[in-house]
Amino acid sequence: MDKKLTTCIYCGCGCGLYLVEDGGLVVGAYPSVKHPVSKGCLCVKGWNAYEFVNSMERLTHPLIKENGKFRKAAWDEAIKLIAKKFKAITKESGSNAVAFLSSAKTTNEENYLMMKLARAVFKTNNVDHCARLCHASTVVGLAATFGSGAMTNSINEFEEADCFLITGSDTTAQHPLIGSRIINSVLERSAKLLIADPRKIELSKYAAVHMQQKNGTDVAWVNGMMHVIIKEGLEDKAYIALRTEGFEALKELVREYTPEYVEKITTIPKEKLIEAARTYATTKKAMIVYSMGITQHTTGVDNVKSLANLAMLTGHVGFPSTGVNPLRGQNNVQGACDLGALANVYSGYQKVTDPTARKKFEAAWNVEGLPGEVGLTVTEIISALGNGKVRGLYIMGENPMISDPDQNHVRECLEKAEFLVVQDVFLTDTAAYADVVLPAASFAEKNGTFTNTERRCERIRKIIPPPGEAKADWKILCEVAKACGYKGMNYNDTSEIMEEIRKVTPIYGGMSYKRLDPHGLSWPCPSLEHPGTPYLHKDKFSKGKGSFLPRPFIEPKENPDDEFNFILSTGRIYWHWHTRTMTGRTSTLEREAPAPYVELHPEDAGKMGIRNGEKVKVTSRRGHVELAARVTGKVAVKSCFIPFHYREAAANVLTINAIDPIAKIPEYKVCAVKVEKI
Amino acid sequence: MKNDYLPHKAKITSIQKESFDTNTYKVVFDDKKIKDTFDYKQGQFAEISVLGVGEAPISITSSPTRKGFLEFSIRNTGKVTRAIHDLKVNDPLFVRGPYGNSFPYDELKGKNLYFIAGGIGLPPLRSLINMVMDNRKEFGHVKILYGAKTPDEVCFKKELEEWKNIPNTEVWLTVDKPCDGWGCSVGVVTELWKETNVHPENAVAILCGPPIMIKFVIARLAESGFKDIDIVMTLERYMKCGIGKCGHCNIGEKFVCIDGPVFTYNQVKAFPTKEHAF
Amino acid sequence: MTLKKILKSDIKELLRQSAKEWEVYAPVTAEEGDTLFTRLPKEKGKLEKALQGINLKDEWVVISPKDAFFPQLEDMFHFDKEKIIDTPSPSKKLIFGVRPCDAKGILFSDEFFKKNYEDKYYLSRAKDKLMIAVGCLTPPRPEACFCTSAKTGPFLESGFDLQLVDAGGAYLVEIGSDKGSEFVNAHAKLFKNSEKDEEDKVKKIKSKAAEAVNLKVDFEKALEIMKGKNDFTENYERIGERCIYCGGCLYVCPTCTCFNVLDDKKGDKGVRRRNWDGCVFRGYTREASGHNPRDKKSLRTTRRYEHKLKYDYSATGMSGCIACGRCLTSCPVKIGMSKFIEEITTGKRTM
Repeated sequence: MDKKLTTCIYCGCGCGLYLVEDGGLVVGAYPSVKHPVSKGCLCVKGWNAYEFVNSMERLTHPLIKENGKFRKAAWDEAIKLIAKKFKAITKESGSNAVAFLSSAKTTNEENYLMMKLARAVFKTNNVDHCARLCHASTVVGLAATFGSGAMTNSINEFEEADCFLITGSDTTAQHPLIGSRIINSVLERSAKLLIADPRKIELSKYAAVHMQQKNGTDVAWVNGMMHVIIKEGLEDKAYIALRTEGFEALKELVREYTPEYVEKITTIPKEKLIEAARTYATTKKAMIVYSMGITQHTTGVDNVKSLANLAMLTGHVGFPSTGVNPLRGQNNVQGACDLGALANVYSGYQKVTDPTARKKFEAAWNVEGLPGEVGLTVTEIISALGNGKVRGLYIMGENPMISDPDQNHVRECLEKAEFLVVQDVFLTDTAAYADVVLPAASFAEKNGTFTNTERRCERIRKIIPPPGEAKADWKILCEVAKACGYKGMNYNDTSEIMEEIRKVTPIYGGMSYKRLDPHGLSWPCPSLEHPGTPYLHKDKFSKGKGSFLPRPFIEPKENPDDEFNFILSTGRIYWHWHTRTMTGRTSTLEREAPAPYVELHPEDAGKMGIRNGEKVKVTSRRGHVELAARVTGKVAVKSCFIPFHYREAAANVLTINAIDPIAKIPEYKVCAVKVEKI
Repeated sequence: MKNDYLPHKAKITSIQKESFDTNTYKVVFDDKKIKDTFDYKQGQFAEISVLGVGEAPISITSSPTRKGFLEFSIRNTGKVTRAIHDLKVNDPLFVRGPYGNSFPYDELKGKNLYFIAGGIGLPPLRSLINMVMDNRKEFGHVKILYGAKTPDEVCFKKELEEWKNIPNTEVWLTVDKPCDGWGCSVGVVTELWKETNVHPENAVAILCGPPIMIKFVIARLAESGFKDIDIVMTLERYMKCGIGKCGHCNIGEKFVCIDGPVFTYNQVKAFPTKEHAF
Repeated sequence: MTLKKILKSDIKELLRQSAKEWEVYAPVTAEEGDTLFTRLPKEKGKLEKALQGINLKDEWVVISPKDAFFPQLEDMFHFDKEKIIDTPSPSKKLIFGVRPCDAKGILFSDEFFKKNYEDKYYLSRAKDKLMIAVGCLTPPRPEACFCTSAKTGPFLESGFDLQLVDAGGAYLVEIGSDKGSEFVNAHAKLFKNSEKDEEDKVKKIKSKAAEAVNLKVDFEKALEIMKGKNDFTENYERIGERCIYCGGCLYVCPTCTCFNVLDDKKGDKGVRRRNWDGCVFRGYTREASGHNPRDKKSLRTTRRYEHKLKYDYSATGMSGCIACGRCLTSCPVKIGMSKFIEEITTGKRTM
């Protein structure tokens, strides 16, 4: 029997939990009492995080597809085949004919190695991961305004805040241990809760103001709040003068966003907008909290910039319990970004277009000719498979068949892939299209680090060996690199990878494994003496002065019309995680939410004669799904919501592959559909 | 120590289609000792497994008077029952039990009996009905009042005909949505009160069906003058273990799996009121 | 009661000796800081390492040692084609350093798993156990422990085999059963006779320990109220709305015994397992037909409080709440049994 502290595999809270091993089985997950996030608590997913590890459906051998069927293969054979194919493709069609999808579920070390494999071994920047689908807008938007694309403050600061402005985050469902801190703050310390969300979320019942904006009109209401604040003279003039630049342009732009005008665009009653603006501006410790509802739009970057403007306008950045706080979805999406599993940056957000950065990495990796142009992003990679520009794709721990927009398009592209490698813990829907499937170790079976939403890099610890012949992702990547003739990827353990990361990544510079024990450190942590940084932009912004970057309101790509007359929004629910490969194999979670559904407003359901639980057909221009109607006042009239977890009625059959021009994030939160009774 | 959780292997010897979604499975234990010692009473249930899929509590629908086999009438509705419906004759099923209390029997002797069932509620009563039919002379007048959504949903069509032909026994059928050529009543089961007398004198009503039906039937029985103690019902609850441990079927102090599934209405009335629909 | 004495410095040796005969469960502080009940390894090197972490201080251990008998997940049986293979019966267990409230919880669960049908998995582990309790000088969860109100601590009056009373450099050892006495005899070299005045000392320590428990509620009144006619609908609705349905209060409760059963297989081989489950979950009572008698949040909340404070008490004479306070300390939104008791006994709103 063994009990080891590790980090939860699900959301970005990064709770500390002890996995319990007995007789080779992972028999439990207990919250850590001393861990600063969990403090003796977990959400239901955390409490049940042990179960899927034991599933007998785990992949245990490499598989190679022959004549349309998978057969068991030896590791050596599978790795050699991958090396051979990828080398052949790049020889024929150039470096950019291959691409790599890294994973926010895997460790920092593994993400680092994935981008090293792409860049150092194959000389391509075609490496990206699902952050593209969740917080790409954040990375771009906050980097431009503040100089650092991450959550500004830390989780325990929620316990001290007096006001929360939450938008596009169903916090209790997606980040339960942050949601609970908000509930406690409202109920026990009378903190004021302002919500802007088209749906009534669990937290709505605690809200002082709930602004139910029309989907996709976020820039308008944020500009509206700033209009009110400036009009009433509630902006922090000293802060603006001392710490920011570009205020005049902002003032000019928001002038036309009067509460009346904003009400027309967003349907938010002007009184609510005014009250929210006053409350936020006049409360010292006020935190902006947002998530996918802000980022997953064609105007995702604009939305983020606007929130950053609002926070700077009121002097709400650079102090405890304030800031702009994007809640990162995946356990390690922050880390996967930090470690450079993105098409445009190396680890620590060092730009691939910067010759100095390239030189530095060439020296560190002992290679020449690192590519200087930005690579393809997740959705671009998938499309490039379709048009033959990318011929070989290596996917580690992602399931684009279910998670990417416009599933029919994804399927066509995956079918066209000349050579597809999928490395995962289960045979996913995506893996079904693979030529080679590699069995990966789960979080219980390897060492490494995850970086949670508050930039806390913390350890995961191996408690059991992987099942069968499965191997840790980092080991597999090293073997592939070696088979391709690269000599710079040999490590005895993950701490050696971290040592390399430290050397080339200033924000992780002080993060040796020894220092990460027991509960990790928040970046920036540039040196071994540095205590880590709980909140960013103290005294000055990372980029010097904070930049107001005012943005005008732009309509979403696909608004409802006469035929497709409903707005569809997609998202997650409390009980499941992403494509359900893990939570679908967790009895308690699967039992709570076993089937897909679409939320419909009672008024709409009534008009169509649809009863709760009845099957309906939801159709967009891209496809249709059939699923049960859940008649609920949570959604607004003429809008609907579908959780994207279910392959049985994949919401992403419907969603649109329209992307933000800068962040390249798809607009999961708005598309037009019609709903019919079957 | 004996392990009550281990099921015994049995074999499906016949499958009888009862309705569009319900089949009766006749099963016989492989082990002769278990076959001979598996004594059950009318109204008890067993836990049935399809290994690798799961286990579900299912009423034993055969009569204890008919020996050597067990019958289960199973509606295709959940994960386990779906898997059972995929099985064929000679396939194995794993069974443990019998569990729960049973319908009164000796106490019913000499009484007039009203069996009132809705939809899949008839199978749990079948065991007792057949036991009564096998000892027909010991009981008074018997009426079976049975409502289903559609004629397709009516279970035990052949047996209903047989029961009808037994002296002093009546079968009354009704469906919500009739099809062409439907010769019986239309409407919910309480509509049958218009067709036939439901008289409380020396009578016991035995019910099984969805909560909403039970609610209306109880109201109707009360109107007709039935005392709470003369209304007997068998309850359904989600359960896992069948032996009072897993907790799922708890109502108040009772476990439906060991204190039930058969309760009189005056017992049910003592349950925490908000937990049942009647 | 005979009183013995063991030096603190001899505890490791006692455990070292015990580990030969018993499966010893003891609170061990992990390298990463938390103290958890862990089965001591038999292998010498590993045992020595574990012994270094033995921690009998009054610390919040997140899960009571109930998991020694009723783990969060366990195999019930394996199968291969149509053959069923039962899991082996484990050996006898020594629960060392169990807290009084947790020991009460185990005694409560012993009865539950014995009643009606015997639960082989639990009982085969629990039947030959030896419990060596250690009383709490200070409450391990200062904000939440309310054992004095429920008379479940900080020391046991009965139910233990041995009970350790921390007297500074040594533990004074109360013997509560024949088994306990046998154990002392088997390790006679380590257990010394106590001095004359030490019985008094024990009394003083115990009364001081009881005074250290700050949180007090009217537990008996609560049981009376719950037994009678009452209407706490407003409380149940409010608590049910506040709850975020993590299940933590059930998972950490020393007397919660509910489980789910799950099957898994690959090819011909498979396994049936069970794992912790709980009444706060909607799916816990949802039938295959979709009908759910406890669909509403408030009904599930009602179930939880009535089960612990009403039904368990009326059925067994023992409350299902042993006042450990864990439900409160593991609740992300600070709902707890002590607060509920305060609400129903004083009418104050606490949550």
